[in-house]
Amino acid sequence: MKKLKQISEYEWQLPKEGNMNVNGLVIGNKSIIDGFEDDTIGQINNVAQMPGVINPVCALPDAHFGYGLPMGSVAAFDAENGVISAGLCGFDINCGVNSIRTNLDYNEIKDKMEELTKELFKAIPCGVGSKGKLRLDDEQLDQVMIKGCKWAVENGYGVKEDLENMEENGCMEGADPSKLSDLSKKRGKPQLGTLGAGNHFLEIQKVTDIYDKEFADKLKVTKKDQVLIMLHCGSRGFGHQVASEYLKIQEKAVEKYNIKLPDRQLACAPVNSPEGQDYFKAMKCAVNYSFTNRLVMTHWIREVFEKVFKKTWQEMDMHTIYGICHNVVKLEEHTINGKKKKVYVHRKGATRAFPNIPVLVAGSMGTASFICKGTEKAMEKTFGSSCHGAGRSMSRTAAIKKYRGESIKKELAEKGICACSTSPKVLAEEAPGAYKDVSEVIESVDKSGISPKVIRVEPIGVCKG
Amino acid sequence: MSIMKKYKFIDDLTSDVLFEAYGKDLKELFSNAAEAMFSIICKIDKIKQEKTEEFVIKGEKLEDTFWNWLSGLIALVDTEEMFFSKFEIEEIDETHVKAKLHGQEIQPELGETVVKSLTNYKYEVKKTDKGYKAVVSLDI
Repeated sequence: MKKLKQISEYEWQLPKEGNMNVNGLVIGNKSIIDGFEDDTIGQINNVAQMPGVINPVCALPDAHFGYGLPMGSVAAFDAENGVISAGLCGFDINCGVNSIRTNLDYNEIKDKMEELTKELFKAIPCGVGSKGKLRLDDEQLDQVMIKGCKWAVENGYGVKEDLENMEENGCMEGADPSKLSDLSKKRGKPQLGTLGAGNHFLEIQKVTDIYDKEFADKLKVTKKDQVLIMLHCGSRGFGHQVASEYLKIQEKAVEKYNIKLPDRQLACAPVNSPEGQDYFKAMKCAVNYSFTNRLVMTHWIREVFEKVFKKTWQEMDMHTIYGICHNVVKLEEHTINGKKKKVYVHRKGATRAFPNIPVLVAGSMGTASFICKGTEKAMEKTFGSSCHGAGRSMSRTAAIKKYRGESIKKELAEKGICACSTSPKVLAEEAPGAYKDVSEVIESVDKSGISPKVIRVEPIGVCKG
Repeated sequence: MSIMKKYKFIDDLTSDVLFEAYGKDLKELFSNAAEAMFSIICKIDKIKQEKTEEFVIKGEKLEDTFWNWLSGLIALVDTEEMFFSKFEIEEIDETHVKAKLHGQEIQPELGETVVKSLTNYKYEVKKTDKGYKAVVSLDI
């Protein structure tokens, strides 16, 4: 990667040149940097050309070519002179992860893994157009959009303590349902409490390593073989519709406000324009829907564990460790050139990594996942952000050609992982070999100091759409 | 005379799906592109044609109309909870389409992949010497 200038072992600068307003910054070890595609770096260059962008545009070690901005990157914009971009947030608004702990030990439950995975697969609607058990009416959907997880708790899904352990306490203030089309709402009503498909999953995991005992203790993860649960999903067709519609609105705004963009996928609007603020309010509706979606499913997961293990979920200590967003735009205060400043931080395939807050990093199917912790260093370097996963290294089409779902299932079983999916093809698409090596990604965020690793887990059961 | 290929998938992106669709006229182009997209969404060969939906879509120009057609079909999967396998276009010009969509209610085992959206990546719809060609990328 000729254009990148190494500034420390884990930090590489894409120096400002041509039309770039700011530098790019890439976090990664040498092996990660060697694996970066030129196109991915080209996308960082493009975003660095946008108006009001704040130095630097960051690519995290899991970054891979995406639409406009790579998946696995962060761009912040001045809250007065910058832009808000539907393009930079992506289609799956608040795709994210919740991690739930238990006090169960893998050795106690391993004989029940098949039953547990099958029961979870029955209880959590998975797959394309998966039909939710909830059917919201207009008023209920509005409440979900405005109140987020508070709606869930009021309606018997989850408890108050869950909210305390979620980004934004499970609700971004200022969501405005009047900024959404009827079609978005129509897509939202039947899908609350559904997992979806693709890379989304529900995973039962066992702890293999604890690197930071003090922080892990705070999360009540105390021993090897402790069973955890990870839920990775988003705002479903509802969020996709909101994103697609506002991309079109902001494409027109680009012309209207005469914004010069190197790539039309970076559709955006000035922060204080109606096209910018309306998107922000609409996006919050999808963010809150997604927070609620994960908490509703958490409730069902608890019910399945109660059924299989004949104990209450409280007896199994099944509390939310933390819940985070991967795709989101947030108005945050950061220190820029020594001064505190409000900026719109766009995280696309990136996790908030504020000091001493858990960072949940989902591995690819069948491989390790990690809980890390945010740091001051992340505040200084990456607008308080870290990686979100392993990052793909092979297209889905190529993965389907290379792998067969049935043999992947067999390989997972040989590793002791029980897998359920609606279609074998999804197992091929998401084959572990189609992703970057998560350990290289984690080494980069750990050693660079933006989010040191705390806990490593391995899957023992997987449900996929 | 050789038969024109309906569509072709191209391995290009590191995360998504790219295809080209062809047609001797707009009617074929729209129908073939829809078929390509539904071959990603579901096991299209196994979808029975037991329910029909009327579908009308408009656009300012061909590029918009084609975009709105495919985007509208993605949304219909959620709102009507159906998979479609046959796209019978009754009226079409560059700014409007009226079609009958044939398919069946969603059964999870017939599903394949959630298509989130069309994207602008390499997107184009153009006239060729053989008719029409479109390039479509899907975020899945």
